[in-house]
Amino acid sequence: MAGVQANRLANGGLIDRSVSLNFRFDGKSFSGFQGDTLASALVANGVKLVGRSFKYHRPRGILTAGSEEPNALVELRNGARREPNTKATTAELYEGLEAASQNRWPSLRHDFMSVNQLFAPIFVAGFYYKTFMWPAKFWEAIYEPAIRRAAGLGRAAGVADPDHYDKAWAHCDVLIAGSGPAGLAAALAAGRSGARVILCEEDFALGGRLLSDGGTIDGMPAAEWISRTLAELAALPDVRLMTRTTLFGVYDGGTYGAIERVNDHLPSPPEHQVRQRLWRIVAKRCVVAAGAIERPIVFAGNDTPGVMMASAMRTYVARYAATPAKRVALFTNNEDGWRTVETALGAGLQIAAVVDARPDVSAAHRSLASKGGFPVLNGSVSAVDGGKDGARKISVSLTGGARAEVEADGLAVSGGWNPAVALTSYHRGRPKWQDDIAAFVPDGAPPGMVAAGAANGAFGLGACLGQGFAAGAQAARDAGRSGKAGSAPVAEDGAFSLTPLWHVAGKGKAFVDQQHDVTASDIELAQREGFESVEHLKRYTTLGMATDQGKGSNVAGLAIMAAVSGKSIPETGTTIYRPPYVPVAIGAFAGHHRDKNFHATRLTPSHHWAAEQGAIFVDTGLWKRAQWYPRAGEKDWLESVTREVKAVRSGVGFCDVSTLGKIDVHGPDAGAFLDRVYINTFSNLAVGKARYGLMLREDGMVYDDGTTSRLAEDHYFLTTTTAKAGPVMQHLEFCRQVLFPELDVQLTSVSDQWAQFSIAGPMTRDLLRELVDPAEDLSNEGFPFMGAREVALRGGIKARLFRISFSGEMAFEISVPARHGDALVRNLTQAGAPFGVTPYGTEALGVMRIEKGHVAGPELSGTTTAADLGLGKMMSTKKDFIGRVMAGREALVAADRQVVVGIKPTDKASRLRSGAHIIPKGETPGPGNDQGYVTSICFSPTLDQWIGLGLVERGRERIGEIVHAHDPLRGEEYDVELCNPVFYDPEGGRQRG
Amino acid sequence: MAEFSWSSHSPLEHALATGVHGLRGTEAGVSLTEIRNFDLIQVMARRGKWAELARAAKTRFEVAAPDGPNAVQAKDATLIWSGPDQFLVLSKDGNHAMNTLAPAFSGLASLSDQSHARALISISGAKARSMLAKLSSLDLHPAVFPVGAAAATSIDHTSATLWRGGDQPDGQAVFNLLVFATFAESLWHTMLDAGAEYGIDIRYSEELA
Repeated sequence: MAGVQANRLANGGLIDRSVSLNFRFDGKSFSGFQGDTLASALVANGVKLVGRSFKYHRPRGILTAGSEEPNALVELRNGARREPNTKATTAELYEGLEAASQNRWPSLRHDFMSVNQLFAPIFVAGFYYKTFMWPAKFWEAIYEPAIRRAAGLGRAAGVADPDHYDKAWAHCDVLIAGSGPAGLAAALAAGRSGARVILCEEDFALGGRLLSDGGTIDGMPAAEWISRTLAELAALPDVRLMTRTTLFGVYDGGTYGAIERVNDHLPSPPEHQVRQRLWRIVAKRCVVAAGAIERPIVFAGNDTPGVMMASAMRTYVARYAATPAKRVALFTNNEDGWRTVETALGAGLQIAAVVDARPDVSAAHRSLASKGGFPVLNGSVSAVDGGKDGARKISVSLTGGARAEVEADGLAVSGGWNPAVALTSYHRGRPKWQDDIAAFVPDGAPPGMVAAGAANGAFGLGACLGQGFAAGAQAARDAGRSGKAGSAPVAEDGAFSLTPLWHVAGKGKAFVDQQHDVTASDIELAQREGFESVEHLKRYTTLGMATDQGKGSNVAGLAIMAAVSGKSIPETGTTIYRPPYVPVAIGAFAGHHRDKNFHATRLTPSHHWAAEQGAIFVDTGLWKRAQWYPRAGEKDWLESVTREVKAVRSGVGFCDVSTLGKIDVHGPDAGAFLDRVYINTFSNLAVGKARYGLMLREDGMVYDDGTTSRLAEDHYFLTTTTAKAGPVMQHLEFCRQVLFPELDVQLTSVSDQWAQFSIAGPMTRDLLRELVDPAEDLSNEGFPFMGAREVALRGGIKARLFRISFSGEMAFEISVPARHGDALVRNLTQAGAPFGVTPYGTEALGVMRIEKGHVAGPELSGTTTAADLGLGKMMSTKKDFIGRVMAGREALVAADRQVVVGIKPTDKASRLRSGAHIIPKGETPGPGNDQGYVTSICFSPTLDQWIGLGLVERGRERIGEIVHAHDPLRGEEYDVELCNPVFYDPEGGRQRG
Repeated sequence: MAEFSWSSHSPLEHALATGVHGLRGTEAGVSLTEIRNFDLIQVMARRGKWAELARAAKTRFEVAAPDGPNAVQAKDATLIWSGPDQFLVLSKDGNHAMNTLAPAFSGLASLSDQSHARALISISGAKARSMLAKLSSLDLHPAVFPVGAAAATSIDHTSATLWRGGDQPDGQAVFNLLVFATFAESLWHTMLDAGAEYGIDIRYSEELA
């Protein structure tokens, strides 16, 4: 029933009672207040059963009040925003919140799969491994899907996340994890010293345990101290307090990962805002004031709803004014647990009994008990009876052997506290054992990091403040800040006085890891079966491998293993700590980089013109390139591409080739430099001429090719392939700076400076004469093949003109400064209109280069030598160049290498496909007689059949031989003829004419 | 035969829509201004000629050329460090374009015209640093990246030159960003996404700031 919060105290708590919030859990309506978590609101409404366990489908309640919660996991929100395995203990309540319990059918109260409990004796550790071994093929098909259905957590949304995430960087001198007394004191000291401070707090409120436990600091109540401290921090210019932000990892060089839940506390993010933000924080120093996590004592029925960590019970009562039970018992082995009694009494709850495992209970506690009218039992809780409606009866084994029973609907448990050692241990650090608190504490930390307060094993309030303040001041000094930190806040230290107790023997299942349903007997079984190492124990039993990463349970598990294997806990050791500290959504790691923003895109200068023409674009690396330009009535790409090729071969066409890498090579030694990086010679190239060049890698394989022109005595203009533009620039810079520093040569990428178009076809000159200033001589004599120079265009600008051809036709490449690229493409269209000029895309470009036998990406595959490509004669013998020596290795000059050859099907109507293997005719296909493969194919409009290039063993010696193409991927077999790779105009008359 | 028009089009012309993008109803937290008309020349010292080049630059610009990650403001140009022994000259109206600069540095430096190879975006506003924190790993705190600081860096995996210009009259910082022209539209959309939550005031200008 909405509106009735039966378990809400009339007064108190850090909730805003003026803001009532309606929410639904499993379809039922409830209400809570601003400042509630979903868990505290459920407590306030008397909801005890919140989930079913992973393996046995046992009824479970809320165990904790923080991110260590193993049980209260829900599906939050609906539809595309459905978020499984959300901890109710950290989910902030908002108006209209919808949550559903998980892992139950048909309902939480009547869960069919709870029959698993009847088979519990066989569902022990390693059950799946032992049971579903044979037949092996059943594992993927039957066993695993069935197991996954039965044992599971929440359901993913299954559709794209509608929200946005982003990533941001932050920088500071001192980074602080946690805003409890140690964290706030550290921030004060560092901030006063003048340091740039970032404090990350997982909670939406600052104060840590002070919010639940109160106390007196500097003579004032904790709440007042917090508000004064926050006011002082707010007045400091460089202190940034980030709530809803979990520091989840530490990486190299003082870089930290944090996740900020920017808008998780709202139904959906406000317009233009992100859901979560991933922070990469670069900090000179880091103070880990992440506190400690209260740990359980393992006994039969310790997972019954109503059993709760003692500190969590205080949090619900004191911070949220919500009472988890009416009649509460406490089971503790330390002084801190007793604070729950004080809080409960203060809220008017009945105390059923205190079960204290320690032999001595202080006189003060005894007097509190007699005033409160409840017994103090010296012993241990051995069982809890109850079920889905919660705990009813608690059995106690008294010291000395007698038994007692206590009626209670709530049991607060405190087995001590484990410092949060994860962050300090992420660089493969191993925490050390500290006897007085029977817990692991940090033993060193990644560079620049230090732990303070409870995270460092100091549990007293005064010690937390003192350590935090000292650590903050020292961190600021280490970061070079010398301002005065002033004096540390002061408080008393409470007694802790713990007697270790991990496990109480008894009948019935006693849970160590509640989220993964790992019991004490599973650990004992693992030890008996030889899985004694903690890393084996973890994997065999899955202890600590659930979404809570064993925050509460791991140490108890280690302690039980230590006991059964007869070792001490430090001898048993801990498993390796790995980030992230809390689950982080993949969406946050992706940030902006999804969908069309998956990676940056590059647009050519004619892109928007091409889009206007209806061009189809293809992704080429980061580029969008026009692939072809469909026209009305064309039935498929092949028809469009064929038209474009024919138009070029019979008239004139143009293509944007601005994507080629372009590099200015300057300096007196530019020619000498190029001689060393290319296999052929460039120092003797005349000014005004272009030359095709090929470069090798150090290992002698072909790296890249392109045309390089000499524009002045000390200026070459080098082009690369589109794909290798970046890598070649890096390679050349490496050569310049590292290999040949003695050369006076300078390199600049000018790829983006020039819009460059190829104009090709027999009517190219006719078009250019329209465009170019009439004074320019474009005749074969005035501008011969492989000429390169600047020309004036009509209308006033200068262009560079290169007489080079990739298509095999009479062709020029023209380039203008890029901001004139759009004008150039429109002017080309206008100037070429009388000649039927046709824009062509990368497909037609590819067809024409294959017809002409030019190698490209598929042949420049990193496994081919210059000789393989038929370019061996280009390798100069008069000079040294990169790759020369290694190219002479035996295997690279072997006679039986696979070399580039032309390939065409013997049946002219048959289609050729790249990737098909070449096998000698009549032989059975197999690795033993595989002689190569088809690298590039196209439909040649000029030859009216499919043609291709391939790498075939001794291919050049076998021109005219009929071989077999074997294409098992597509199930095709056909005969092909090996032929000259230059299918079109082998004499080259067209491009020179 | 017709003469042809060779109008100049910025690489951001298609994507840039003046006005407010993202959050409205409050003063925009970020201001993005594309500068459309500029000359940009890459100057790289010839081997062993840095000292001579620096002297020639001092004579021409009346300021010392940057020899570390800084941008130096001259009367009618900005000299922006781009690497060891090299800098960019940003100017307008042809004062320091290729044809005038080349003779001045003849034999001392290799020059490449980059005027069309970059887009220039000026970023300011109360939330400029918050937006840039999503794009850049640099620490742009006023004490770390003061007026005149420059960086050859990467923005969203894209190579970029970032420097802090003179503050606006109201004291707000101005960050100038040179990005490769062919990446500009893609990066522009990334910047719009990053700044949308603060509100972005979008404009363009023919004037250097």
